[in-house]
Amino acid sequence: MTTTLSLSTTRPRANLDWLRRLRWSGLLVWLVLALLIVVPVLTFVAVAVSPRLFHQGSSYFTLANIATAFQGYTGQGILDSLWVSVLTGLASVAFATTIAWIVQRTNVYGRRVWSGAMWLLLLVPTWMTTLGWIDVISPGELAWALGVHTLFFYHMFFGASGIVFVNMTASLPFSFFVISVGLRGLGSEFEDAARVHGAGRWLTMRTILPIIAPALLSAFVISFAETMSDFGVAFTLGANAHFPIATYTLFNAIYAFPANFPVAAVIAGVLILCTVPPVFVQSRVMRGRSYAVLSGRTRAVRRHHFGPVGRLALTAGVGLFMFLVIGLPLVGAISSSFTNTASFITSSGVHWTLQSFKDVFQPLPSYTTLGGPLWTSNQLGLWVASGTLVLAYVLARRMASRSPGVGQKIADVFLLGSIAIPGIVLGVGYIFFYDQRFITSHVVDLYETMPLLIMGLIASSVPSQARLLTGPVSQIQSSLNEAARVHGANKWRAFSSTSFPLLSRALVWAWLITFTKTISELAIAQILYQPGHEPASVVIETYLGTIFASIGSAATVITLAEMIGVIGIVLLIFRLVTPAGWRRIGEAGSYS
Amino acid sequence: MSQSNHHSFTPSRVEVKDLRKEFGAKVALNGVSLVVEPGTFTVLLGPSGSGKTTLLRCLAGIEQPTSGQIRIGDKVVFGPSTVVSPDKRNLSMVFQDYALWPHMSVRKNVAFPLSNTSLTRAEKQRRVADLLERVGIAHLAERYPNELSGGEQQRVALARALSSQVGLVLFDEPLSNLDADRRDQLRIEIATLTRDAGVTAVYITHDQSEAFALADRVGVLRQGELVQYSRPEKVYRHPKSAFVARFTGVAGEFAVESVRPIADKRVEVTLPFAPFMTVEATTSENSPYDVDPHLFVRAAGVSLHPETSDAGAPGVIRDVAYTGRGYEHVVDVGAPSSLTKVFAAERFERGDKVKVMFDPQSCFVMNAQEEA
Repeated sequence: MTTTLSLSTTRPRANLDWLRRLRWSGLLVWLVLALLIVVPVLTFVAVAVSPRLFHQGSSYFTLANIATAFQGYTGQGILDSLWVSVLTGLASVAFATTIAWIVQRTNVYGRRVWSGAMWLLLLVPTWMTTLGWIDVISPGELAWALGVHTLFFYHMFFGASGIVFVNMTASLPFSFFVISVGLRGLGSEFEDAARVHGAGRWLTMRTILPIIAPALLSAFVISFAETMSDFGVAFTLGANAHFPIATYTLFNAIYAFPANFPVAAVIAGVLILCTVPPVFVQSRVMRGRSYAVLSGRTRAVRRHHFGPVGRLALTAGVGLFMFLVIGLPLVGAISSSFTNTASFITSSGVHWTLQSFKDVFQPLPSYTTLGGPLWTSNQLGLWVASGTLVLAYVLARRMASRSPGVGQKIADVFLLGSIAIPGIVLGVGYIFFYDQRFITSHVVDLYETMPLLIMGLIASSVPSQARLLTGPVSQIQSSLNEAARVHGANKWRAFSSTSFPLLSRALVWAWLITFTKTISELAIAQILYQPGHEPASVVIETYLGTIFASIGSAATVITLAEMIGVIGIVLLIFRLVTPAGWRRIGEAGSYS
Repeated sequence: MSQSNHHSFTPSRVEVKDLRKEFGAKVALNGVSLVVEPGTFTVLLGPSGSGKTTLLRCLAGIEQPTSGQIRIGDKVVFGPSTVVSPDKRNLSMVFQDYALWPHMSVRKNVAFPLSNTSLTRAEKQRRVADLLERVGIAHLAERYPNELSGGEQQRVALARALSSQVGLVLFDEPLSNLDADRRDQLRIEIATLTRDAGVTAVYITHDQSEAFALADRVGVLRQGELVQYSRPEKVYRHPKSAFVARFTGVAGEFAVESVRPIADKRVEVTLPFAPFMTVEATTSENSPYDVDPHLFVRAAGVSLHPETSDAGAPGVIRDVAYTGRGYEHVVDVGAPSSLTKVFAAERFERGDKVKVMFDPQSCFVMNAQEEA
């Protein structure tokens, strides 16, 4: 027995053992990431200059496809994407800064409601927002029913302004959260110091603005990259408005007959090239500031106190804005779902009906019901969110390492780059790479299977979730885990009793965000779904392009309600099953 | 099989042999060797970057040394072919930032180390309640760490460290985040509770008064090397080097004009600002005074006298501070540096001319350049 004990408490030359194990685990992570992201994307982009290598042309090396991609319809798409993204970024920062300042630094009513509305906005995909707006302002729809003739806005919406507006609303939550953190960390002492040293209001603002400049730049870059990568607006609004956007022209190049993979690959390369550099610039500027550790030294925010009238006006302003960006599109989608005609108003007046909701679950000739696809989407959400969580946590641990090595730097650069890869590029990269004959014949035939779709969705979620989790992971002081170890806990117990409870809220939210994003994801789903097993987003999109648009709206409402329901249930379970102490983490002032 | 990791309580003997720790090109510990006898309180003293935290973390098993050997009790916990993980070393630790788990109440934090023991539930509860009572926070048992003051949090950390009846308790600058009042109070509690528990304690700090107040043995670290390890009295009275003398507190340091040996390790020196008198001082064999000899004077070895006194070096009071039991003075003696913290029961005003006398027991002559 003594011998056994002795062996169990010692292990030979752990120095080398540890290194060997680290290398293997590191290799495994990199292998998974390579198969998920690097290889498919690089293979696809390589087609642009070497089509023959992949049986897509006659040249082993050519630049002709690059010239072709920058001409005509596709060239216009690239140009449009660029200026629309810049404009969206600027608008997003301007609006987000205003709202964040009002919410964080004034005594506006309903501070939590506005932050909650931002979370809701984060969950709503751009294609849902687009369709909601169409349901409001299209002739014969809600606005017209209320006596507001919105033909002018309707024409504006089907063009660049509509695309910028919807993309701005989609990127608003990211900008809002980033800028809010910047404003929260901006203690009043900076303003006080400027004021007591003689600065007026204007000079004070100019003095403190550089302090939140990294947050503003970060918000701009995120908005820019999100818009460059977006497929939902490009597919639903851009295509109908005959306003080419690069992600849609890429999709078009693949689904046109004959498919033009080399030109699609050039567009993919351009999209990556356009989004990666700003993300890196932002990362450089934010270096050392991204993952501020919460501590007892966190400064109290001083709020500007407006009088009763000013406070009401401020609240009304924020309320109106939030109603425009999230309330009205939702109202549009909901109201449209209660009709069963192409228009809200018919010659005999407004007709309210639940028929669309019934139709959603009853088979129509040549159409799929929502039940199966929604179940498929939920299964996908479950797999993708769980797989993403594991991989993202492993990566976040590496990123948050206190002794950054080469591996961490590579992971950092890789994740930054991967965030910028549009979903459409990943999707097309997947069908291109995993359909290669040497893969299907000699490795594994995943083409048009559910596992390939799951892989694609995980690949698109891991980079952003890993970076999202790096913040909470790096906020856990290493001494908390060390304290558990020296007080008798083995590695697993130290993790399960200290790190896991402290991270539980962040993990739950990361899982929920991935789950809901997976259900509403359109770009990858549209390209990689298994025939006969369409996810809900693809089916809804099919309805919306037809005279059965109201069924699509009803399906949208049901899907959104289901997503919110899942969030509610998961949060309720979290509340019921976790000890009170776990839930304190992440609440204001609870972790100091 | 239920196997307790924390065995029945016996204070541990700690033996460190030729320990080396490298962080890339930086050598954090360079050949450190020391023995901590069972049940004693050892304080490792040193400035930032001296390697004291690294040494403590190596003892805890949080950091893995590059080479050397560590033995805790009868078990080698680190050696050429052995690494024992922290949870198997039969020790506990009080962290500088307390490291209290924010999601656990005070009671659960303190009970954590007991969960791996074979004590019954009732025994564990009794033990936690007893410890919370002893550290004076029984009424805060259901609170969470963020609802406690710094001093209260440190008491929880202390109770947690003592709860599991391990043989060795490590203290990583536990008082550095507290204000002066609480620091003195908690220092006393740490000393009494640890000694009452009978455990071996290794405590690190950069505060020499804290070190001397707590220690049975003091180890002074500099640039990864243990430069002196002895009883506190010996470190204070016979510092091995100018560095140890400076770090453990001197009132003044002056270049000497001449040195004359008068006995074994005793010399007589003359000072440029008082050539008419000699000062008797102790030397150190580790710091030969033939190069750049300086006189180092402890504050306790300087006394102030009226200008009319016959003996002593002339000086002028530059500053005076009331300390409650008397006055601390800064005295300008005409040398490049002044004498500081010179205590006197009576107050001398700024600008007063005085005579300064030195107690031979508190004066050392050492090579000012030879630090180690």
